[in-house]
Amino acid sequence: VKNPSSSLKSRFITRFLGALTKINAEDPISSPSPTRILQLYRRIKVASNKSMAYSVRSRRIWSRAMLSRFRSRRSAFSGRRSSVKTTNCTTINVTINENKTAKGGLDMQTDELRELVPGGEAMDVCNLLDETAHYIKCLTTQVQVMRKIVDFCHISKKSSM
Amino acid sequence: MADFSAQSYRQPFPFLDIDPTMESLTQFAELNPQSFILDNSAFNFQTFFPLSVNDSLFSNQASQGETMSGFIHNSNQSSVSAQPIFSAKTEVEEISNKRKALDILESSSGNSSSSSPPVSETGIKRRNNSGRGKRAKSNEKEMEKPKEVVHVRARRGQATDSHSLAERVRRGKINERLRCLQDIVPGCYKTMGMALMLDEIINYVQSLQNQVEFLSMKLTAASTYYDFNSESDAMERMQREKAEEAKELERLMREGYVGIGGVACFHSSSTYGPL
Repeated sequence: VKNPSSSLKSRFITRFLGALTKINAEDPISSPSPTRILQLYRRIKVASNKSMAYSVRSRRIWSRAMLSRFRSRRSAFSGRRSSVKTTNCTTINVTINENKTAKGGLDMQTDELRELVPGGEAMDVCNLLDETAHYIKCLTTQVQVMRKIVDFCHISKKSSM
Repeated sequence: MADFSAQSYRQPFPFLDIDPTMESLTQFAELNPQSFILDNSAFNFQTFFPLSVNDSLFSNQASQGETMSGFIHNSNQSSVSAQPIFSAKTEVEEISNKRKALDILESSSGNSSSSSPPVSETGIKRRNNSGRGKRAKSNEKEMEKPKEVVHVRARRGQATDSHSLAERVRRGKINERLRCLQDIVPGCYKTMGMALMLDEIINYVQSLQNQVEFLSMKLTAASTYYDFNSESDAMERMQREKAEEAKELERLMREGYVGIGGVACFHSSSTYGPL
């Protein structure tokens, strides 16, 4: 049994809540313009995914891919051309050919799965399934925590009203 | 004669002595419908022994087998009925799963090879197949796959070259992972094929990602109406509670609790409301 204070869930919670407070501290919440709301939504979504990726650190292929995506996006945003970690093209070709010979009609699904799981393009089917399992577990944690936060907000709001 | 030939091949390949494998090979020959290898003439094997005693082909990585298969294919052309040996060879690898068993078999000339622990299971089965009956066929199918990743039992009618073996190992791994996913993803039934399960998994991942988006939208909505300055106290509270137990938070939220930061939040389950 893992030490609860260092579990994935608690790490994600601390990080995400910290990000949320930062977001809300920066912007005035009063202006409910649609662009504002959209911006806020995007930032919260990114914060959520980022917190999860950081909580997993580099232990998983998908988290590494996600983190490199964030870093490249950030550096691209700031104007610098970054050395983005691109997947090796030969690796992709090898895996695709391998799949074709082995699993015939399941290429479509594996490709779809590759699109969904970050960093899935350069993984072989075996690793892809492994990463999918961990990714699903992290996503469920994310959803669970966010739902609790939302509930908490609603409840606090109701009680304070 | 067999020993001499085995000796000559000892250097490049760790071949077995023929004799210990003779009996098994005769039995395994029965599995082959063509049965080029005659029932009771053990000496027939001596012409094919370069192919038959290569148990290390399958006792280790398939990469090693690739070097062996080249040799085997070369000598395949030279011998007439080398083909049945291939199916028999799969039984040979079962005899000595580990390399150490090789030495035991090489040293012993009889069936004492069955005394080594890794092959004891197979040795017992061999003893049961003392006759050249059809039982050998069913026993071969019943024998389980060894637990190690590399050792794959070739079943009847399946190709035994190293490539297909590696393929089978890979497929086994994939099936194992799929089974794990099956437990995680709700709505996956064991009876479903791989395609259906992958569809389910894809749907589940997509729905989870959509849920994250939806919840973040909800959070933005909540943040626009809610003052987050007092959220910091709630944050400390939540962090502390999550450190203990995740469920406890939910329970506390339902029952009501007093925050350490001074922000009280009392509410009964009735005010929880539909959310």
